Amino acid sequence: MTMTIIVITLIAFILGIDDVSTKMFRRPLLIAPIIGFILGDVQAGLAIGATLEIMWMGIGNVGAYMAPDLITGTIISTSLAIMSTNGSIETAVATAITLAIPTSILAQQLLVLIQTINVSLNGWAKRLADNADVKGTFWLIYPPALLTGAARAVPTFIALYFGAGAIQSAVDALPTFVINGLETAGSIIPAVGIALLMLAMLKKFELWMFLVLGFVFSSYLGLDILPMTLIAIVFAYFYEMITRKTAAGANGANESSKNTGEEEYDL
Amino acid sequence: MEQKLTKKDLWKLFMRLNTMRITLNYETLQGVGFMRAIAPVLEKTYSDKEELSDAMRRHAQFYNSHVNGDAVILAVTAAMEESTGPDEKEGINSLKTGLMGPLAGLGDSLIKFTWVPIIGSIGASLAFSGSIIGPILMFILYNIVNIGLRYYAIVYGYKKGIGFLNDNQESNLIQRISTMANVVGLMVVGALISTIIKVQTPLEISTGSSVTGEVGENVISIQEMLDQIMPSVLSLAVTIAVYHVLKKTKGSHAAMIIVILMLLTIALTYFGIL
Repeated sequence: MTMTIIVITLIAFILGIDDVSTKMFRRPLLIAPIIGFILGDVQAGLAIGATLEIMWMGIGNVGAYMAPDLITGTIISTSLAIMSTNGSIETAVATAITLAIPTSILAQQLLVLIQTINVSLNGWAKRLADNADVKGTFWLIYPPALLTGAARAVPTFIALYFGAGAIQSAVDALPTFVINGLETAGSIIPAVGIALLMLAMLKKFELWMFLVLGFVFSSYLGLDILPMTLIAIVFAYFYEMITRKTAAGANGANESSKNTGEEEYDL
Repeated sequence: MEQKLTKKDLWKLFMRLNTMRITLNYETLQGVGFMRAIAPVLEKTYSDKEELSDAMRRHAQFYNSHVNGDAVILAVTAAMEESTGPDEKEGINSLKTGLMGPLAGLGDSLIKFTWVPIIGSIGASLAFSGSIIGPILMFILYNIVNIGLRYYAIVYGYKKGIGFLNDNQESNLIQRISTMANVVGLMVVGALISTIIKVQTPLEISTGSSVTGEVGENVISIQEMLDQIMPSVLSLAVTIAVYHVLKKTKGSHAAMIIVILMLLTIALTYFGIL
C-alpha cells in the first residue's frame, strides 16, 4: 500500500506542475480515472471523475474569485474513496463528493501561500534584467515549479498515509441516509457551478433569452449537448450580426467601439 | 517587413509560453513569466547589452491574461519588438495592457465557459455508463483546443504582428468572437441545467385513504405532475435560487453554498422529500 501511495504522490507532484504549465490534465474527469487505474478500480475512478467533473463544472478562476484546488481535491478524494470503500461504487462516489469539498478548499490556501512566496521571484528577475542575462532566465521556473508540485504532493501523501484508516471507519459508521443524501447531493451541487457560469456570462438582460432557449431545447425537446451546441452556434452568429449592426448605427460617427470592448471584458 | 525569428525560435517561444504561469505571483502576476518567455526573442533583436537590459526590464512589469491570450500577446510583442524603432518602445507596453483584458475575456468565454462545460458533460455522460472513452475523448478534445490554439496563436500572431491589432480595430474581431462564445455558452448552460442537475422528489399525494397506505390509482406522484408542466422545473428553480444567492454575495461564497446544499440535501432525503 505504501508503494501505491508513493506513486499517487508522484502523480500529484506532476499534475500539480501541469496545472500551472501545460494545463493538459486539470479537470476531475481526466484525473480520477488515472487514480482509479493505479488503485485497480477504473470503474470507480470513472464514476467519481464524472460526478466531480459535473459537480465542479463552472468552477475555475473567474476574475478575482480564486477557485478551490480541483487537482489536489480530486486526487485525495478519489484515492481515499476507493481505498476505504470495498468495491461499492455508490458508496465510493458519495465518499468522494464529501471529501472533495474540504480538501479542495484547504489545498487552495496552499496555492495562495505559493503565489505570495513567488513575489520574491520579481527581485531575481530584476537582477537578471539588469545584467541582461538571458541564459539565467531559464532557471526562473524551477524553484516555483518544485514548490507548486510539493504543494500538491505533500498534502496528498499526508492525507493518504494517515487518512485512509480514519476515513474507512468514518464511512462504516455513517448511517445509510447520509450516504443516500450525499449521492443525491452529487447531482444537485452542479447547480453552484452552473450558477457561477451564469454569473460570469449574463452581462446583459437580453442574454437571459439564450439561457431560456437552451433550457427549452434540452428539457422539452430532449436534445443532447452536441446538437444543442450546433444550434447555439447558429443563434450566436445571427445575434452577433444583429447587435453589431445596431451598435454601428448607434455609435455612428464616434469610433469608441474598442473602448467599450475593454470595459466589457474586465479582468 | 523582414521577420527574423525562425520556426525554431517560435517553438522556443511556445515552450516558454507553456511554463509562463509557474511564476505567477501577487506582485506582477505573470510579469516574471512574460519576461522569461520573451527574453530569447529580445536577445535576438538587441545586440546592445544596455538595450537588451532595458527591454527585459520593460517586460518584467505587471501582466496578466488568459493562457491563449498570452500566446497572441507574446507573438505580437515579438513581432513589434523587431519592427519598432527605439523611441516607439513604450507603445509595446500599452499594446500589451490594451490586449490583455479583452483577450482574457475572450479566452474565458470561449474555453472556460463554453468548451470545457461542453466536453465535460459529453465526457461525463460516457464515463457514467462505465466507458473509458469518456475521459479519453475529453482529453483529446480539450487539448486539441488548449494546446493547438496556443501554438496557432503564436505562429499567426507573429506573422500578423502589429497587423493583428489593426485588423482587430477594424473588424472588432475579439469582441465579436466573445459575443458569439457568450451566446453559445449560455445556451449550453441552459441545456446543462436540465441534463446535469437532477432534483427529484419521491413525494406523493394520496387522494384516497392515507391511513392504510395502499398504493392505488388515486396516488399522484408530485414529480410526474411537475414533469407534465415543465420537465426539470425543480433543477431550474434550484439553479436560479443559487444564482441569486451568488449574485448577492458577488460569487465569493461558492464553497459555503456547496456545503449548505449538501447538508440541506441530507436533511431533505432523511425526511423523504428528495
